[in-house]
Amino acid sequence: MNSRERVLAHLEGRPVDRLPLMPITMMFACAQIGARYRDYCCDYRVLAEGQIQTAGSFGFDYVNTMSDPAREAADCGARVEYFDSQPVALVEDDALLADKKRLATLKIPDPLGGGRMHNGIKAVALLKERVGREKIVEGWVEGPIAEGADLRGINTLMTDFFDDPAFVRDLFDFVVELELRFAREQVRAGADVIGVGDAAASLVGPQVYAEFVWPAEKRLVAGIQEMGAKVRLHICGNTRRILNGMGRLGCEIVDLDSLAPLAEARREMGPNQVLLGNLNPVTVLRNGTPEQVTGAVAQCHQDAGSRFIVGAGCEVPRDTPPENLRALCAYAHQHKP
Amino acid sequence: MTDLKKLYEAVVNGDAKAAHAITQQALAEGVDPLVLVNQHMIPAMDEVGRRFEASEYFVPELLIAARAMKSALDLIRPLLVARGDKPVGRVAIGTVKGDLHDIGKNLVASLLEGGGFEVIDLGVNVPPEKFIETVREKQANIVAMSALLTTTMPAMKTTIDALKQAGVRNQVKVLVGGAPITEKYAEEIGADGYSENAVGAVALAKKVVAA
Repeated sequence: MNSRERVLAHLEGRPVDRLPLMPITMMFACAQIGARYRDYCCDYRVLAEGQIQTAGSFGFDYVNTMSDPAREAADCGARVEYFDSQPVALVEDDALLADKKRLATLKIPDPLGGGRMHNGIKAVALLKERVGREKIVEGWVEGPIAEGADLRGINTLMTDFFDDPAFVRDLFDFVVELELRFAREQVRAGADVIGVGDAAASLVGPQVYAEFVWPAEKRLVAGIQEMGAKVRLHICGNTRRILNGMGRLGCEIVDLDSLAPLAEARREMGPNQVLLGNLNPVTVLRNGTPEQVTGAVAQCHQDAGSRFIVGAGCEVPRDTPPENLRALCAYAHQHKP
Repeated sequence: MTDLKKLYEAVVNGDAKAAHAITQQALAEGVDPLVLVNQHMIPAMDEVGRRFEASEYFVPELLIAARAMKSALDLIRPLLVARGDKPVGRVAIGTVKGDLHDIGKNLVASLLEGGGFEVIDLGVNVPPEKFIETVREKQANIVAMSALLTTTMPAMKTTIDALKQAGVRNQVKVLVGGAPITEKYAEEIGADGYSENAVGAVALAKKVVAA
């Protein structure tokens, strides 16, 4: 079976020849082709080349279009800063919705309007054309709290939960609609899976998560699934207190950061949830030895059980020794679920 | 007389209006501002930190508690400055050059302020020269640096080297933190301390200023 068949079969609970392998690479993939990270973020051809080369040389089962959290916000008109060798970042001091009243007149930008979202959609289409028969093509959208934070300013949004709950709900309604439109065009362009990155969800406790974040995430996930795509949820940081809710979203893949133990996730989410992750990307994958990487991924596999996909807890850091990443990949290549 | 326990409760519960009003009333009644800080606000922020560590509080709760404390401190600080009271220490804090992530840095800044430190928040994407200038001009005795990315953390070493070159490294203790930072990395770059979380950072800051 090829990579695409392997991942799809595994997600559907059918037998596979070996563990699927889907680590997140962005800056690492860019470095593999010697490109500037600014170009990886802004030119879909560079991104696609980096992904295809990296997935090919390490034997990943997928390619992915994530580069930075600012695609949607930039198209909405938020001020972003570009760096030659860092991800595009939001300028929080000048947040688009610093004045809450602007939300009422803010229009959802056309994902095909020639902006940064359009560039991401072109990346999906190019990846589909070049490797889509062989590998899973994964698009990417920001989740409700992550995108809400991008538009409003993360520090301000954190206090909005107490100061103005109605505004937060309106903001999340806007964001879910925005992300669904972005996701729809990525699915049309050929994405098999849509990754939902909702990093800021790990900053809130279970009450705020259940009251505000979960319902918006649920609408987003269900909407993407209605389009015929599968969903990979990734929340950076410590999600131990919200694992149960994350499991109830019904995502095909829950991709966990290293601060949330896979054994706990398995207990909270039941035996059928496919879990992905989650060795520490810095202390183990980047700073460790190949032997330590192998030991850590074996432990992840044991904790997660057979419904497992190999990956790191978060993005593979740019300067990860290739032999360490090869050790991670070799584990997937040599083990059945 | 104002019930000062309510100041403690206002900070713990993140009620900025109440914290401000109680402080205003207490000061009008002649309560020593240092009593408000040391006996009520610092213990309140200690409790907030404890709840944060115990996963009873999360970032939103911590930020509204810090905001409540600030609303009281805004009234108190000018009085302390006027009579020459010194803070526990003066911290120049910022996210290093090239990195725009600030939530972790803000949590540490808030808890340091709650711990009795004067905090000079330099924001994000802070170049080494800005840290040096603050050490020189504001007599900061702690430089606290944050980075979220493995690609920006080398700016911590650049900053420490720049502090050395500027001849001010011996005047300050350098503390570092952020998701990719480790104790080992802190040692390698010549920092004086590392904490993996915001509560630990306050204990560390108190330790290094006492040393």
